[in-house]
Amino acid sequence: MIKKDLSIEFLGVKFKNPFMLSSSPVGNCYDMCAKAFRLGWGGIVYKTLIKDPCDECSPRYDTLRKEGTSFVGFKNMEQLTEHPLEDDLRDIRRLKKEFPDGVLVASIMAGNDEDWKTLAKQVEDAGADMIELNFSCPQMTDTHLGSAIGQNPDLCRQYCKAVKSATKLPVIAKMTPNITDMVEVAYASMEGGADAISCINTIKSILNVDLDREVGLPIVNGKSSISGYSGKAVKPVALRFIQQLRDNPKTRDVPISGIGGIETWRDAAEFILVGASILQVTTAIMQYGYRIIDDLCNGLMHYMDEKGVDHLSELVGLANKNIIPAEELDRDFKIYPKIDNDKCVGCGRCFISCYDGSHQAMEWDKKLRRPTCNTDKCVGCLLCSLVCPVGAISKGEVVFKPGRGEKRKTKDIVV
Amino acid sequence: MKDYLKEAEEGFSPLLAIEEASRCLLCHDAPCSKNCPAGTDPARFIRALRFLNEKGAAEVIRENNALGAICARVCPQEKYCKLGCSRSGIDKPIEIGKIQRYITDFEANLKMNILKKPERELGQKVAIIGSGPAALELAALLRMKGYSVTIFEKDEKLGGYLRYGIPSYRLPNDVLDLEIKRILDLGVEHKVNHRVNDEEFKKLKELYDAVIVATGYELAKTLPMFETHHEVELATQFLKRAKEMNGDIDVYSDVLVIGGGDVAMDVVTTLKRIGTPRVIDVVYEEFSEFRASEKELAEARAQNVSIIDGYVPMSYDGITVNFKHRHLDSVISIKPKHIILAVGQVARMQFGLDYEAGEVKTTNYRVGDSNVFVVGDIAHGDKTVVGAVKTAKEANYFIDNFLTKERAK
Repeated sequence: MIKKDLSIEFLGVKFKNPFMLSSSPVGNCYDMCAKAFRLGWGGIVYKTLIKDPCDECSPRYDTLRKEGTSFVGFKNMEQLTEHPLEDDLRDIRRLKKEFPDGVLVASIMAGNDEDWKTLAKQVEDAGADMIELNFSCPQMTDTHLGSAIGQNPDLCRQYCKAVKSATKLPVIAKMTPNITDMVEVAYASMEGGADAISCINTIKSILNVDLDREVGLPIVNGKSSISGYSGKAVKPVALRFIQQLRDNPKTRDVPISGIGGIETWRDAAEFILVGASILQVTTAIMQYGYRIIDDLCNGLMHYMDEKGVDHLSELVGLANKNIIPAEELDRDFKIYPKIDNDKCVGCGRCFISCYDGSHQAMEWDKKLRRPTCNTDKCVGCLLCSLVCPVGAISKGEVVFKPGRGEKRKTKDIVV
Repeated sequence: MKDYLKEAEEGFSPLLAIEEASRCLLCHDAPCSKNCPAGTDPARFIRALRFLNEKGAAEVIRENNALGAICARVCPQEKYCKLGCSRSGIDKPIEIGKIQRYITDFEANLKMNILKKPERELGQKVAIIGSGPAALELAALLRMKGYSVTIFEKDEKLGGYLRYGIPSYRLPNDVLDLEIKRILDLGVEHKVNHRVNDEEFKKLKELYDAVIVATGYELAKTLPMFETHHEVELATQFLKRAKEMNGDIDVYSDVLVIGGGDVAMDVVTTLKRIGTPRVIDVVYEEFSEFRASEKELAEARAQNVSIIDGYVPMSYDGITVNFKHRHLDSVISIKPKHIILAVGQVARMQFGLDYEAGEVKTTNYRVGDSNVFVVGDIAHGDKTVVGAVKTAKEANYFIDNFLTKERAK
């Protein structure tokens, strides 16, 4: 097996690898966290502590499925810890004692300054390495709790300040995606003293509606609620928020803990390239178990090897400069599809999608049952290549639009 | 000839490989991994592929089984990993061999070097007699630990039955060559066209710290009624002849094959692939008790071989073979142009080894308290490639223990 150093420093704390359990059902007690550490996870954000334990509903999950795939999205109605505070503090203490090299982050939430301060002191005393402030749980509707905090810059600033006045530990503010612009609340948190940002918590959602009983799923004694959506499906939203934080001078340099649909080492590498230094995972663990750490780590090591880097930190944010405002994109050229007739199985899906969803450029030979591209009509959107089930359509010839691209060469276009 | 050399089964495309891996239920206590004699750990490499870690998957296979690309092709998986696959509860087992082949092809295309040379030389020497699957696997394992390993092979090329028995359309030469090259690249020495006789064997025991006998089932069995008829060919001779000539050998119009194991299936499909118009295979077992693997039998049927089950050969006069059904009152007579016997193989009795039921008597693969160990077909276990790999992996542990103790003396 390949051996590469996956360690990374985050807020002065060394992680043996960037992978953490996020604050959620997967890090809910000593036994779970101990197993995760033993299997190789770099760190754990222990499930959010609050003064009074939560009272959970049953059932509490739902999934969004798509044909042959196992679920692509996951809905969770669970809130914060269900244990008495002293039990969780005891578990944190024990974990830190038995796994001194594993990073343990205590997630906390409160509804007023005093409670924030008290919790911060308690988790510091219990031995936590850092504190994550849960400004973002979407399954509660109180105006001073959960994602209501993360939508209100003043509360973010105020609570960060309160916590920082009570502890010496590094503090991460965990943000909600249920907002248009994250920079304002993230910056307010930084003004209040937050050292880093976790991004994102889950997205408020209704996944499915039961058609017979006219209620969202899951059904809790005939009723349901809006609650957090997670899993592979939310990755694009998370990557976008991280990019925007990295793109704004106010938040550009804040360390980021990336969260949202990480399942494979490829997902992990994507988060790192857009600027996350450490990564948090829940849904994939709920679906497949802690064992996914094997391929997260091994795959990332191979990727580092391919990129020729010895330190993970060298990869952080490499994609940021290549993600630019839409108006600045080069629009002088188009790329025609290249059809590989040996691979083509003659399903005609490219023809249908081009006709019904694009510019009617794909033509269909009824006898041969094969497509050809009419370049007079083709706009180079490449929808055809995306719907092809066998990967028979790739990027082909590059041409400049009429009257454009003088003094330029098509070979200089990066495809 | 083209049919003989071209690999019969198409490999997976990346798309199909990931689709097949996605069918896998990623079981908690995967039966596939428990059932692999070689410990190749299919559950682990399928999971790696499922999570898009092809390189990691290749590492899992190669580090568990130095003949991973070969086993992917020739292992009768339905008797091992695919047996008990939980997916069967929904539809049909995962195509584990094809996934393994996809990953090892990926490994070959990327020229990955997963097996590592030893970090230190232990200074002890091991001789391995034979170069079939057990010998190759053991050579890799002992070499990676730091032992000096020399293989002695009687034939021109390394590989044993993999080289001279299994037809090219099931195991292409380039796949075998690459597997052997990887092992030789670790620093394994080899001597070919070198048959060790009893006298040299005694010398090897003195010159080397350990001597491993991995000579396999070298001799083909015959039946009393055919013993004096030299025109009757033995299956292993035929397969070797076909393999050496890349399938470019004389074609008879009607060939009778007697036997129903995997070797017999290799014979009949080879005959068909080189263009034999009529191939009749008469088998002692009835279909309900057939010994050949599903895949091999299916291939023979797809090639339109006439298979007659449940008949025993009774007499042969140089022209006609008479058979009688084992249970029914039924006789048949066949006058073929050529006859090939595929009724099993046995070990050559040599080196003064003590045999019982076709296997050398050992304790933990060791012969008495000598420095001689035995692996492969002549050791206890399944007479398959994967069975051979298993004996090598197990023997490796005991040989290393033995040599470690010797070193300490």
